[in-house]
Amino acid sequence: MTMELEYNRDLYGVEHRAGPFEITDDLVQIFNRSIGETNPMFTDEATARAAGYAGVLAPPTLVTMLVRNVELPDIELNFGIVRFHAGQRVQSRAPIVAGDSLTASSHLKEVYPKTGRTGTMVFTVWETTFTNQDGVVVADVQESYASRE
Amino acid sequence: MTDRMNLSFEDIDLGDEIGPVELVATDENVATFCELWGNPMPNRFTSQELAEKSGLPGPIVPGVMSMAIMSQALTDWAGPESLKDLDLVFRQPVPHNKPLLISATVTDTRQEDGENLVECDILMLGEAGERYVGGTALISLPSSGE
Repeated sequence: MTMELEYNRDLYGVEHRAGPFEITDDLVQIFNRSIGETNPMFTDEATARAAGYAGVLAPPTLVTMLVRNVELPDIELNFGIVRFHAGQRVQSRAPIVAGDSLTASSHLKEVYPKTGRTGTMVFTVWETTFTNQDGVVVADVQESYASRE
Repeated sequence: MTDRMNLSFEDIDLGDEIGPVELVATDENVATFCELWGNPMPNRFTSQELAEKSGLPGPIVPGVMSMAIMSQALTDWAGPESLKDLDLVFRQPVPHNKPLLISATVTDTRQEDGENLVECDILMLGEAGERYVGGTALISLPSSGE
């Protein structure tokens, strides 16, 4: 049986932008502290500079924390009572370093149903592209939210 | 477990194991993370009461933070600039203050567009074998001559 999903398909192709987000040394260091990160490329400016970077490297998933700053619309999905964060993907495209200024652009990537042992869920996937001050794409982040009855 | 010092593509074989790395996300770690993340506290990640209202047994580690922890295990192994792609499924709520075991297994090695790529399956388990988070990772490594 094919499931007829209703949601706002006009959202496809619409970009939702946010930023700029300043990647400060403080931001990177607090992120490091929260996960116990000790690699000197992430924690020590002198080490990062010796490797040719302008500041400490940001750990590759730091950008995922910025996605929540993008205001995303309700897709008006006609399915589900419970909604939860089901998955996340980060693709690193270029180094992010302290001193960078990033902008984010998010769009609705896909909405699809999946039926498993626990019943049917509908997955909504948003994709966010981060670009630095030089126009270089540094990362893509996909967030997947599951809705179930 | 392969020695991470001076790790090169030629050192890697299919089936190689990374970890397990054991760590604990403490209440303090999660609160620091939530503050930086901009998630107003208390919330279901930091409060027993609000977690229970969300149908959870207790406060949980945010998925974004679980990803950061798993990424760290990979960059500790392969280097800070190595991680190209990390794709995770959050299977169960991840608890605070309990051992989290992160391990990965090499499932493919290939050279593509001038890069040496290593693909892994990665897992975060609880001490009783709970499968909290699973997924795949793609890592880029230098050749031994570079």
